Amino acid sequence: MKRSSFLCSLAVLCAVPFIGACKKTETGGAKDGKLTIAFLPKSKGNQYFVTCERGARAAAKELGAELLFDGPTNSDPAKQNEIVEGWISSGVDVIAAACENKEGLSTALRNAQKAGIKVVTYDADALPDARSFFVNQATEKGIGDALLDNAAKLIGEEGEFAIITANLTAANQNAWIKAIETRQAEKYPKLKLVDIKPCDDLKDKAQQETTNLLGAHPNLKAVISVCSPGVPGAAEAVKQAGKTGAVKVVGLGLPSENKAYVKEGVTQSVILWKVEDLGYLAIKAGAALADGSLKPGATEFDAGKLGKLKVEGDNILLGTPFAFTKENIDQFDF
Amino acid sequence: MMRKYSREIIVAIALILLMLALAAYAPAYFDPQPLLSRFTSQAPALVAAIGITLVIIIRQIDISIGAQFSMCAVVAGVAAAAGMPLPVAVLAAVLTGAVMGAFNGLLVAWLGLPSIVVTLATMVTWNEALRLWQQGRLMNLPAGIQWFGLSQSAGQGIVIGLSVVLLIAFAWGMRNLALGRYVYATGTDAEAARLAGINPRWMTFGVFVLTGALAGLAAVLNMVQSPQVQPNAGDGLELKVIAAAVVGGVAITGGRGNLWGVLLGLLLLVNVNPALTYFHQPPYWERAIQGLVILLAVVADGLQRGKKVKHA
Repeated sequence: MKRSSFLCSLAVLCAVPFIGACKKTETGGAKDGKLTIAFLPKSKGNQYFVTCERGARAAAKELGAELLFDGPTNSDPAKQNEIVEGWISSGVDVIAAACENKEGLSTALRNAQKAGIKVVTYDADALPDARSFFVNQATEKGIGDALLDNAAKLIGEEGEFAIITANLTAANQNAWIKAIETRQAEKYPKLKLVDIKPCDDLKDKAQQETTNLLGAHPNLKAVISVCSPGVPGAAEAVKQAGKTGAVKVVGLGLPSENKAYVKEGVTQSVILWKVEDLGYLAIKAGAALADGSLKPGATEFDAGKLGKLKVEGDNILLGTPFAFTKENIDQFDF
Repeated sequence: MMRKYSREIIVAIALILLMLALAAYAPAYFDPQPLLSRFTSQAPALVAAIGITLVIIIRQIDISIGAQFSMCAVVAGVAAAAGMPLPVAVLAAVLTGAVMGAFNGLLVAWLGLPSIVVTLATMVTWNEALRLWQQGRLMNLPAGIQWFGLSQSAGQGIVIGLSVVLLIAFAWGMRNLALGRYVYATGTDAEAARLAGINPRWMTFGVFVLTGALAGLAAVLNMVQSPQVQPNAGDGLELKVIAAAVVGGVAITGGRGNLWGVLLGLLLLVNVNPALTYFHQPPYWERAIQGLVILLAVVADGLQRGKKVKHA
């Protein structure tokens, strides 16, 4: 006990000179007048976030701002906190963060706000009081609508379809399925959802489930996967059953994990937001927040090359998800 | 005879009843293509189940088998993606599995640590290592890996054929080879086995190594079924194969059980889910029914043991 309190005070004493030093760099950093934006991914080795960064760099270049890109090498919430604390000390103007751990990072982001840094989140939100805006890549309705609209178009708005989900209790997936069901009831009376099967986020289980669905529902026209491992899993089942093209596969996933099946014509379309645009928008929003052109309560945001985007509450919406198809999938490498 | 194989007979009857119900109400279940696909996709689980059966007979447990499977799949995938020929990838996977098994075996056999704790620790370790290494992303394999570079039906034939050959070989060996009998003897009473000249430590170690190697082989048989490797492909495999062994009559207290029972147990458990799909029932029932089957098996085990004690 004694020993630990001694260590504590020692740590505090050691930290004092550093706090002083940090203050100095902060004032020094603000002088050159260039906006400094820090961009935090969940993991900087992940191709998804590397693609985000590409968009962020484009936005920073457009704005004449300096972009700092740093994040954990692998998904690591503690490391995210450390990096944010570092940015607070060195005095950046804006932080755009994708949160690995909502509660965990929120504390650090609140500290950043207290230090006068503008905070936006993208991809994965923090608690609402820890940031000004969340750059929302897709709403539940947006994803559900895009998946069903694509599937419906492929099968002529008529016939049976089935859904592969992660598991029956996954909140995200259930919200998307609900959106699909609502859309179907409103817009596609001739479509019929025959079954929803969980794949436990396993590609192989998705394949087995799809094999069974194809056998049990001979009139099945399309399979929609609302979890990313389910898309190639469903595609492999359709391919092995010799039903390529006859049964359409649509799902939410990454282009790189589906490229082969899309090119073979087994999977017709993979839905995802344009990841590069997400990074671009996060930086644009952060900068606008810093120069005062974006204020709480706004209903619209002018996002440069992305045009005018809708703001719902404190969410800036990236817009309709993008469909990767045979024609365009080669241009994407994440 | 009837008494000795009572469990196997009960499971076989349950399986036959399920098949009859399917034949009556959903004959499409027996269409050749989906049937063949179903068998092929469960073949790797059968290979892993051989290993877990040996482990349970020798009175240990290995819950890291799913993690070993994932690790071996990734190692084989990385080797294949680096352009190495398939046999090298297969060897790498089997060796990786054997090394992981040896690690479990060392800790259990020589340090005398409980296998449930050791393999829980290695399970978490391998899984987390994979998460850090692969970030959960699917790995795309080069052409020529899927179905061993052959046609789909030839590939499926090899996968099923290899698993069945392994099953027959191990079932025969466990009954007819001295080593097989030693596994039973060690599982029944390690001290008695030692006095009879068997080295229980080496037996236990060997069984863990073999189980790891079989997990590696299973991972390869799974990898060749698609052009991609998922780094957590073995998630939940441990539950599946342990359940198959228990349902198939392998005593969780060691010393008793045979591989044909395990085959029946696996067939019964893995047919529950497709049967529900073909009966157009919601998937909510899958886990509940599988759980009930396992529970019945354990209760039957308990009753059987109780009877034996009374007789003695």
